[in-house]
Amino acid sequence: MVMQPFRLLRPTSLAEARTLREKNDEASFLSGGHTLLPTMKQGLARPPVVIDLTRIDGLRGIAASADAITIGATTLHAEVAASEAVQTKIPALAGLAGSIGDRHVRNRGTIGGSLANNDPAADYPAAALGLGATIVTDRRELAADDYFVSLFETALEPDEIITRIVFPIPDAAGYAKFRHPASRYSIAGVFISRKGKDVRVAVTGAGARGVFRATNFEQALAKDFRAEALEGLTVDPSALLEDLIATKEYRAHLVHVMARRAMTHLGSAQSYK
Amino acid sequence: MLNERAFKAVGKPLRRKEDLRLLTGKGHFTDDFNLPGQVWAAMVRSPHPHARINGIDKTAALAMPGVLAVYTGADCIADGLKPIPHSPVPSTKYDVKLTGRGGTPVFIGAHDVLPPDKARHVGEAVAMVVAETRAQAYAAAEAVEVDYEPLPSVADSREALSADAPKLYDEMQDNVLVDAKFGDAENTEKAFARAAHVVSLQTHIGRVTGVPLEPRASLAFYDPADGRYTLYAGSGGAVRQKHEIAGVLDVEPETVRIIALDIGGNFGTRNRTFVEFPLVCYASKKLGKPVKFRAERSESFLTDYQGRDLFVDISLALDKDGKFLAVKTANLSNVGSRCVSLSPLSKGSGLITGSYNIPYATLHAQAVYTNTMPTQAYRSSGRPEVTFAIERLIDKAARELDFDRLDLRRRNLVTPAQMPYPNATGMTYDSGEYEANMDRLLALADWAGVEERRKEARSRGKILGVGFANYVESSIGSPKERADLIIHAKSVELVIGTQPAGQGHETSFAQVTADLLGLPFESVNVTLGDTDIVSAGGGTHSGRSMRHASTVIALASGDLISKGEKLAAHIFGVPVEEVKFEDGIFRLADRNVSLSWFDLAGRSNGPDIPVELRGDLKVRRDNEMHTPVFPNGACSCEIEIDIETGALDIVRYATVDDVGRCINPLIVHGQTHGGIAQGVGQAMWEECHIDPGSGIPTSGSLMDYGMPRFDNLPSFKTQIVEVLSPTNPFGVKAGGEGGTTPAPAVIMSAVEDGLKEFRPFELELPITSLKVWTIIQQGLQRQKEARA
Amino acid sequence: MTVVSMTVNGAPVSKDVPDETLLAFFLREHLGLTGTHIGCDTTQCGCCVVQLDGKSVKSCTVLAAHAEGANVTTIEGLAKDGLLSPMQQAFRDLHGLQCGYCTPGMVMAATNLVETYKGELTEAIVREEMEGNLCRCTGYHNIVKAILAVARGEVTPRDRVEG
Repeated sequence: MVMQPFRLLRPTSLAEARTLREKNDEASFLSGGHTLLPTMKQGLARPPVVIDLTRIDGLRGIAASADAITIGATTLHAEVAASEAVQTKIPALAGLAGSIGDRHVRNRGTIGGSLANNDPAADYPAAALGLGATIVTDRRELAADDYFVSLFETALEPDEIITRIVFPIPDAAGYAKFRHPASRYSIAGVFISRKGKDVRVAVTGAGARGVFRATNFEQALAKDFRAEALEGLTVDPSALLEDLIATKEYRAHLVHVMARRAMTHLGSAQSYK
Repeated sequence: MLNERAFKAVGKPLRRKEDLRLLTGKGHFTDDFNLPGQVWAAMVRSPHPHARINGIDKTAALAMPGVLAVYTGADCIADGLKPIPHSPVPSTKYDVKLTGRGGTPVFIGAHDVLPPDKARHVGEAVAMVVAETRAQAYAAAEAVEVDYEPLPSVADSREALSADAPKLYDEMQDNVLVDAKFGDAENTEKAFARAAHVVSLQTHIGRVTGVPLEPRASLAFYDPADGRYTLYAGSGGAVRQKHEIAGVLDVEPETVRIIALDIGGNFGTRNRTFVEFPLVCYASKKLGKPVKFRAERSESFLTDYQGRDLFVDISLALDKDGKFLAVKTANLSNVGSRCVSLSPLSKGSGLITGSYNIPYATLHAQAVYTNTMPTQAYRSSGRPEVTFAIERLIDKAARELDFDRLDLRRRNLVTPAQMPYPNATGMTYDSGEYEANMDRLLALADWAGVEERRKEARSRGKILGVGFANYVESSIGSPKERADLIIHAKSVELVIGTQPAGQGHETSFAQVTADLLGLPFESVNVTLGDTDIVSAGGGTHSGRSMRHASTVIALASGDLISKGEKLAAHIFGVPVEEVKFEDGIFRLADRNVSLSWFDLAGRSNGPDIPVELRGDLKVRRDNEMHTPVFPNGACSCEIEIDIETGALDIVRYATVDDVGRCINPLIVHGQTHGGIAQGVGQAMWEECHIDPGSGIPTSGSLMDYGMPRFDNLPSFKTQIVEVLSPTNPFGVKAGGEGGTTPAPAVIMSAVEDGLKEFRPFELELPITSLKVWTIIQQGLQRQKEARA
Repeated sequence: MTVVSMTVNGAPVSKDVPDETLLAFFLREHLGLTGTHIGCDTTQCGCCVVQLDGKSVKSCTVLAAHAEGANVTTIEGLAKDGLLSPMQQAFRDLHGLQCGYCTPGMVMAATNLVETYKGELTEAIVREEMEGNLCRCTGYHNIVKAILAVARGEVTPRDRVEG
């Protein structure tokens, strides 16, 4: 299949975007295009109308406060990776953004697009869940714990627009992933953070229902925030994805290894293949 | 015969002429061409691996926007289209002669461009839609209603052997199209009977696809004014395609003009006619408009001709000192749903004994039809498979019988004194220094430092696996080639029938021509790929091009020099014996009088020239050569294995390749690099996987099909060796496929070496981190239990 | 249909194109710049890479409309004053191309890498940063050499090309 014709609408304000969406209930939103356009090229999505969000002021940019980094929905992966604020305050997040896809993809793909799509193997869901981010939309604020529902499914309403994501600044964080040899998406990616007594361990690429928290890992690390604390712990293989490249058991094993490597390389994002 | 001292261009790493246009976006790939008024084609493809076609309803599709026509197999047959004449059975003098059971002819099922009866593989085109825009054509293709009656299907070649397997062709009793035995059964059995040791191996070299980065494309234009078809389409040989497409359209070959200029990679995938090539010609005539087709990458994954897929069951008999006495092998090839080329099975059959002096062998060669995409030649057709089998088996013998794997090989190599060496399946190796190549390779690879590197890797938690493989491969190819040499006012044109897709013929053939004619390299231009100019030629495959081209160019040069001497003699007014040709100049022996090629060309049409000599200064020469040549070499690699994850990282790769005379080392090293990558890709990441339950292929895109990339390959150490072949004037063997031939074998050798502490284990290609991790886990578990 | 205007290789262009037109097809079919190639349908191969406002992007996955007002450079725009660019020169000198199909995207990606990478380029970093570009012919070996040669300032353009 090839890209089918559609009408492109380019609002310059959020209000205009909402109005256009109301008038065109089969419309899809477009940000960097690196999720929607490939899907449309394969004929898997054929919206007759596409509403481009990239001309809306205020949706792009990175702001830092004392305890949070706020990233606008249409901010590019490359911008997050290169941001001095993110590099100093949440280096694992900057590293994660810098490991998405390849450098050309990072020059177009956006955080809002990635989170709205919720690909079960994407990196940002692990960061959002792993840092306890808040996804702010045009109508409400959603805690990451409530945001991710299942594969390619989020709590967003069909016409809801993400405007920014607020990442609390942790005391420490790390990310490690093992990549699929062809797609280069994660088959096991683990984002770990600690803020005070709270420890979060978010796993992407592996769960049969998308990104999830490995609560047994969190409990062990909350008591003893060292890689060694994870000794002998595993996530439940039966809840994991399976394909030619990785069985459930292998994925569970990789989740464990990636969690340990995230712990031994805190303050960075590590990529293995 | 050749005066090597005159070589100014041959042997030099001259930079390529092709590059200026390719580096500046001025290439001429098929999709770059457009014709006014062109319309677009899209294929309706079977979702079933095997299904009867009970009817095709065009109504809904025809009603869609922009749609001009829908064509089915019934339409094609009604309009007199014939099946594609693939001529799949290799038939040069030295090809191993494959037959059906009992010596019967191989049954070639008709390859209709659109089948009227059944779809025989997932993705097979059963109808074609033509519309104003490409998007309209693809959308309308979804609306064509095909009444399929799904039939039982078979994908695995071992299952297809059975008499009970679903049958692809009603004319056959089963799916077995090739079943032939070769070799010396009696002496082989005797050797096995008296052998001190016998080692065996069953293995599968799986199915891969070429993934040339340019997807297939074709643009056809039928001109009613002269009744000719012009088809822009990349292929492995424009002349061959012209004949095949004319055969489908049932017209005289001269009615068809093929234009194949720049081609974005071939590797064998483009060597045979794709159904859409004659179909767009047909549609163009029906509609009176140019018709264009461009495949999506997902269509390429599904319907490019695929490669390999060979099951091997091989045994080696050795004496107590490790001397190889005999080899027995059964090779089963999966040709897919159409017999497009039996080259892989045939080529491999001639090389089952590899680089080794094994006096007796038997081969049972079989090929089956299955409900999968047809396979045909792919980079080093057939040779990586048999090299994998013999080299893996020798590693196994070394392990089980406690021989050093290098020593075991050394003592059994064919020696230079034995050349030309007739092997046990009838191939005569022309020349080679196999042991010297091993020594060169061990030095290049710093084999002496291996143990140190193993220790260093261990200190970082990695296991270093070290692999080694020898190889010998064959280059046969279409036996005929033609060269036209034309002297223009300031340049010389070579017209030749090879078909490069990156091998640099415009450069390397210019080097050959320049030195033969004594002209500067810059003054030679090579014309390829337009069949209105290129009248004959064998295309490019099997490493044939430089050998055939350099030979026919040498012959043509001789003819042209002879013509030049006659012309010069007339102009000088002397007998022809007094004319001396040297360094591109025709001179009189004793006097300071000379004429250049361009002087002669400027005068050759003059009224003063006798009629029998008058005309443009040009020659045409045909040549036919059947004798194969045998490039050969040795390679090694080192792979770091992450014990925790099973991940593999190739850290070193070295190869020594005897290519015969190397015309351009820059180009030949590049061929080796690319060849290595393709062979490594098969070993590590590439697989055309088919779901066993449904028969549906699952590797539909680059998301599933792993490729060699910048970040999963090392830089290579490659060394060229030139042991001239006695079979052709330049002594050329071939340089295009030696990189691939031993690559799967050497990767497996390294991994089996690295994982030896976790034996025993089973391992088949591709070697994924999952498979490695599983072996490590099971091995560690056994070690734990042993200690308990 | 939308009128899309941008600067391509230094020249202003403006075309009325269907909204769904991707930048790669805008270049190839509407501007006749067929140097930018299409190799896949999953945004992975990199044959289509061009520079958009100084950044390398995969033009098969960018709407032409998204390049409105932008400065686009394609392979046809790299040669300067009738000379190959340093990266083009390096690819030629070191045999970094064979069939030439991946080459436009490869050269654009490599050029952008050397221009924008902060820090020293080593072989390992080049191999990592270039993972978005596939080549089936060269095995990458010579391309890595070419990129490192340019990064080290070792390449002087000297081959002439027509305007």
